[in-house]
Amino acid sequence: MHKIWAVIRREFVERVRSKWFWTSAILGPVFFAAIIIIPLRFASTGGTKSIVVVDGTASGFGARVADSLARGKTFTVLARPVPRAGLLDSLTREVGRNRLDGLLVLTDRTLETGAAEYRAANVSSFRDIDELRGVLGRLAVNARLERAGVDPVTVGRAQIRIDLETKKISGSATTGESSAQSFWLAYVMSIVLFIVIAVYGVNVMSSVLEEKTTRVVEVLVSSLRPFQLMLGKVVGVGAVSIFQFAIWGLGGRLVLSQRAALLGTTSPSDVAQDAAFQLPPVPAATVVVFLAYFLGGFFLYSAMFAAVGAMSSNEQEARQAQQPVVFLLMIAYLSVFALANDPGSTYAVALSLVPFTSPIAMPVRWAAGRVGPNELVGSLVLLGVGIGGVTWVAARIYRVGILMTGKRPNLKELARWVRTA
Amino acid sequence: MTSPFPTPIVILDRVSKRFAGHTAVDELSLSVPRGVIYGLLGPNGAGKTTTIRMIMDILEPDGGAVRIFGEPGGGRAHSGRIGYLPEERGLYRKMRVLDVLVFLGEMKGIDRRRARQRAGEWLERLGLAQWRLRRVDELSKGMQQKVQFISTMLHDPDLLILDEPFSGLDPVNAQVMKDTVLDMRHRGKTILFSTHIMEQAEKLCEQLCIIARGRKLVDGALSDIKRTHGGHHLVIGFDGSLGGAAQVFADSTLVSKVDDYGQYAELELASGADPQQILQRLVTSGARLSKFELQEASLNKIFIDLVGPEAARA
Repeated sequence: MHKIWAVIRREFVERVRSKWFWTSAILGPVFFAAIIIIPLRFASTGGTKSIVVVDGTASGFGARVADSLARGKTFTVLARPVPRAGLLDSLTREVGRNRLDGLLVLTDRTLETGAAEYRAANVSSFRDIDELRGVLGRLAVNARLERAGVDPVTVGRAQIRIDLETKKISGSATTGESSAQSFWLAYVMSIVLFIVIAVYGVNVMSSVLEEKTTRVVEVLVSSLRPFQLMLGKVVGVGAVSIFQFAIWGLGGRLVLSQRAALLGTTSPSDVAQDAAFQLPPVPAATVVVFLAYFLGGFFLYSAMFAAVGAMSSNEQEARQAQQPVVFLLMIAYLSVFALANDPGSTYAVALSLVPFTSPIAMPVRWAAGRVGPNELVGSLVLLGVGIGGVTWVAARIYRVGILMTGKRPNLKELARWVRTA
Repeated sequence: MTSPFPTPIVILDRVSKRFAGHTAVDELSLSVPRGVIYGLLGPNGAGKTTTIRMIMDILEPDGGAVRIFGEPGGGRAHSGRIGYLPEERGLYRKMRVLDVLVFLGEMKGIDRRRARQRAGEWLERLGLAQWRLRRVDELSKGMQQKVQFISTMLHDPDLLILDEPFSGLDPVNAQVMKDTVLDMRHRGKTILFSTHIMEQAEKLCEQLCIIARGRKLVDGALSDIKRTHGGHHLVIGFDGSLGGAAQVFADSTLVSKVDDYGQYAELELASGADPQQILQRLVTSGARLSKFELQEASLNKIFIDLVGPEAARA
């Protein structure tokens, strides 16, 4: 026991002492924030679009649309010309030369039939199209009602929009979590789980490989059993990862508590707009589920990575041999959208029960929707059984592999190692 | 712990180890008495390392039994009393020298404080004190070898098992190794080492076992082996002229075997042959001699005689 403890301590101390650890402790959150926020920012801020409204309406509808668009933040209306021959062609050429982002064509028929046309270089921006559709629809309804003799004040009142607020029901309590926040929490958790399990699993692998290539392992296994050595290694590296999480957690807390100071330059309205990017309130139960599945996933995959390290003779071989393990881990990670959109689907349930995918799939389902206690317990039990089985096989490969040099074994040879070890 | 009769420290009883396709060690039996320097000799691929790994519990024998310090089973249960230097050496490259030694000491079951103190003493003794806080990969290869010896001796083991201890050592470290081994021997410790360098074994070993292709060819005290396998040997050095030496060496009534180097030759006398007759015939044939010495065979000669046919058959 004392010797396993010494192995754990060595793994922990040597890693925590390294520059690598502190670099990732500090840059990790920055990196995660970047990969989460940058795509969001790109999706939401395409910059202001400069457009021309070609106004073929006699009722003043075109003017109202142009005013309304100009008041919003999405569009700048450069001009509101009346249609004439060749105008559309010349404007289209301007768009082609990038001097103009688009043109909105309105006629009197717009009010009659609801037909309008938006020509632009980019028509796939949901934000732009939503804004156009919203403004056109609202003003068209106003104009039609007014034409039918309805009092403009009544029309204005009828226009007050419904703001649908979504709140997740967790157990029987309503949480403050919105659907966007549930999704982002699930998404962030899957990224963190995937990266951290992979990174620390690879750490276990390199540690095994180092002892194998330097032959220190011979001295070690003459003093303690190969299984004890592997166990000490996995626990030691696991402790480093928990320490890493603790640093990230504390750092995150510190940043959040100082957020006002950090965002001092941002106006309150901007903060309100960024509500979707704020950290959602994370319930304690979610943290527990996350950590439980992280540890389970880490032990499961570390055992596999240890076996990969033991069967390889150098870094290059190990990089190749680790591919299947990484792919296995990726299955659940790549399914995160399916899992979050429909946490109750057969696919989602299956992924959250199979030990190889449950460490990522179950926390995602948990964050995105309701998971019954039976399912959670069942999944944890299966994960436990999976860890036992995988560790048993991995330990046998490890025991034979650490003393082998030369060619990497094929599957048949591996099977023999497992049988005879 | 000390008994009036020297009980063997290591006993192998018909131990075998097979790997896919070949038998590395085949029913090997040997016994290492307490307080001797014991040599495990054999050509490359003879099964020396596999044998040592079975003694160390790194490999499990497929058949036969190992007893260490009188108890059944391999060395892991006694790791605190055994110092082991594997054939291929290496240390954690990124760790500090002192930390590596303390960790390896802990692996041998001594506590951190004692390991630290002993490591400090050893580093001082081998002139590495100022390197204690440096990383292993900042040390020269020779210094790393010294650190590795220290890790083997740190816990003051009763049994030292060294796999090819002299291979790859520079002359200075080879001397340090030899002195350490002899010092251990004088303090009543037991040393088992493997080698394929016979000159080394001849100078150091009291007892030995020669193996080839996984099988024992001979074992026992060095002097006994020399007596029974040595035969009568004649060493002749020439001083320029060989005269009719070739005809004399070819006379099978006088010489049964010859190892001719030109200006130097080792002869094995035919049974009943008189060395004086050879001397006389050489001189009358016109040979000028610088050396004429009757001696027992070198271990190297015995080794080649024993292993040669085995190796040829391999």
